[in-house]
Amino acid sequence: MLFNTIDFAIFMPIVFLLYWFVFKKKIKTQNLFLLAVSYFFYACWDWHFLGLIFLSSVVDYLVGHSLAKTEQRIKRKMLLLLSLIVNLGILGFFKYYHFFIESFQEVFTLFGRNLESSTLNILLPVGISFYTFQTLSYTIDVYRKKIEPTHDVVSFFAFVSFFPQLVAGPIERASNLLPQFERKRFFDYAKSVDGLRLIILGLFKKMVIADNCALAVNEIFTYYPDYSGSTLFFGAFFFAFQIYGDFSGYSDIAIGSARLLGFDLMQNFNSPYLSRNLGEFWRRWHISLSTWFRDYVYIPLGGNKGSKGKWIRNIFIVFLVSGLWHGANWTFIIWGFIHALFFLPLILSNKNSKFKDIAENSKRLPSIKTVFQISFTFLIVTLAWVFFRSENVTQAFLYFEGMFSVSFFSFPTVSRGLVLFLIIYMIFEWLQRDKKHLLEIDFIRSKPLRIAIYYMIVFAIFYFAGDTQPFIYFQF
Amino acid sequence: MRKLLTYISLFLLPILLVWMLAEVFYRTVPNNYTYKHEQISKMEGLEVLVLGDSHTFYGVNPEWLSLKAYNLSNVSQTIYFDKLLLEKHINQLPRLKYLIVAVDYTTLSQADNTQEDIWRKYFYKAQMDLDVPLIYWYDPKSYSLAITRKFDKTWNTFKEYRNNKTLISCDSNGWGNTYLSTVDAVEMSRLAKVVAKKHEDESMDFSLNSNRVQQMIDLCNEKGIEVLIVNMPSVAEYVSLLNSNKWQKIDSVCNQIEINNKNVTRINLLNNKQFELNDFQDADHLNAEGAKKCSLIIDQILKNKND
Repeated sequence: MLFNTIDFAIFMPIVFLLYWFVFKKKIKTQNLFLLAVSYFFYACWDWHFLGLIFLSSVVDYLVGHSLAKTEQRIKRKMLLLLSLIVNLGILGFFKYYHFFIESFQEVFTLFGRNLESSTLNILLPVGISFYTFQTLSYTIDVYRKKIEPTHDVVSFFAFVSFFPQLVAGPIERASNLLPQFERKRFFDYAKSVDGLRLIILGLFKKMVIADNCALAVNEIFTYYPDYSGSTLFFGAFFFAFQIYGDFSGYSDIAIGSARLLGFDLMQNFNSPYLSRNLGEFWRRWHISLSTWFRDYVYIPLGGNKGSKGKWIRNIFIVFLVSGLWHGANWTFIIWGFIHALFFLPLILSNKNSKFKDIAENSKRLPSIKTVFQISFTFLIVTLAWVFFRSENVTQAFLYFEGMFSVSFFSFPTVSRGLVLFLIIYMIFEWLQRDKKHLLEIDFIRSKPLRIAIYYMIVFAIFYFAGDTQPFIYFQF
Repeated sequence: MRKLLTYISLFLLPILLVWMLAEVFYRTVPNNYTYKHEQISKMEGLEVLVLGDSHTFYGVNPEWLSLKAYNLSNVSQTIYFDKLLLEKHINQLPRLKYLIVAVDYTTLSQADNTQEDIWRKYFYKAQMDLDVPLIYWYDPKSYSLAITRKFDKTWNTFKEYRNNKTLISCDSNGWGNTYLSTVDAVEMSRLAKVVAKKHEDESMDFSLNSNRVQQMIDLCNEKGIEVLIVNMPSVAEYVSLLNSNKWQKIDSVCNQIEINNKNVTRINLLNNKQFELNDFQDADHLNAEGAKKCSLIIDQILKNKND
């Protein structure tokens, strides 16, 4: 069930009404209801894979319990290892089996040996990377004694499968989300209104920004040899907005839907294209994943402790693993490598933690320096997206070859209206940069004006929506 | 909670009103689906039935056929719906002698439920009274035509109705009578590229639709009806821009169908030299003049068969 469909428009109000009117008395029944609708939500894609979520939940619940019962270091390590093997084993099998088999075959072919090809036809379960990381965070945090294991099996299962963020995040930490399942939730008017605003904003980002960009992107990336360098550049530019609108739109709808049910999910995007360097970009883009890698990969590796060489190694490992997390393709690994490479100067100059504040907070217009910094960061990110979008590495290089040709200086054959619209959108993001989201417009005192803005956005969703495209991050 | 529900209801009220108006519009204003459904239900003495997509909709004009004919084809009508329409109406057409079915570049490889035309299945169900297995009972769109299409498309359809005073774009014989002009060679060349790109689905899997064609032929065979499989004419440049291997496969499948079935005749007009550039409205659709030419060729073949 996609968020941008009539099905969800029917599903969500029914869940909301039953949740607050029928199941509100007992927290246990409310959680059981959430668990049931979450499994139903997932089953709408493919019920066959429900078993995988169930298996992950059972294993991590039992591992968490067993961890609480023992203080023996080796036993605790073995339990953690069990959870890692089961979760990453499932993820590895479904997501990376073909990738590794094909890569091995290619390596053997290089040495003149031919291996027989695999005949397994493996389908990738939707959202497997997201819920696997979420449930792993629980086991690791229990192992590290950062949280106490839950004894409430329903809460735990509902935490793993919570439908708003089940298939594409935000990847929640057990320390944030699990306690919310364990305590009574009360209806909060302001929270619900904000949730609705986020849903509208998310639909706008997905259906108007992402889906319209997708039309141009699909055309340009499919027929890239036919287009000029300047058009190819705009192809990458549009993809930057497609993936942003698509993924941040999904996150907004997820956070908004959760808010309607009384839950607070973590912010996943914070105007990433206004970042002034790559360090800031990664504090603003897919925040739940980058902090996950920070806490469970980067810091255990040693983080920035030790020599600069080790620090750089850790950065490269995190970005390469992050690339691989996105998909079983060398394009994603190279995408991660490019980000690591451009991160390097920040590490060497100790500027990776710079820009933690809001840009030019007291000013309405950005300075020339800020514009330059934002544009440069956006340019790196956009060019790196070419690898992310390309079918394979060869296509990505050919795309770049076409882009950086003489025709780069020709007039691009793209929709000027779309370019203008995206620039205007970014101006609004700049003006709202100190807010949690673009539609946080409580500062507008006139209620009719606020309502008019909501109607304008709803109208745009209905009238300017592009052809429906699947959410990009579902494939991860 | 009450406050929130009240505000949501008030906010949604205008949206619901627009939805209701759109629903009334789709349910009350006659269009090609409702019109063709009404017409075919009255055609008792019909001898020739034409099925297919826009190529036959604009390209075969029953007026130029000697036998009593009706064109039940429609824009983007796939073999899937051709088969459902044939199954629905064949028993009500006791005098039917010939069935004309178009097989073009996308006909055999066409997937069901493609994004662009996914909305049409709901119109076939609601307005042509077809039992469409692709639609599940729990699909909300099967209960409201207004939500099957995006609002901008509905608005454009409304504007079309306001300008033309009708949504029906065919005559009483079912022929699409709105393609009356042509374009120059330069524009035709541009259109050929655009349309070729659009039609390239990169699928060579014909099994599903070949099977459907065979089922239609078998059904006709049971009723003593002859089937004419027609490859409709197209502009040469458009044809050359598409995958030649696929064209060859289409050619061979059509030949094989003709060889395997006694009641089938194949008419290959794809590269027919009688058609000139000014017979086309665009790269793959005949205009009224071209339709006349095409219909007369088919008529001659039917006459020869009758003799």
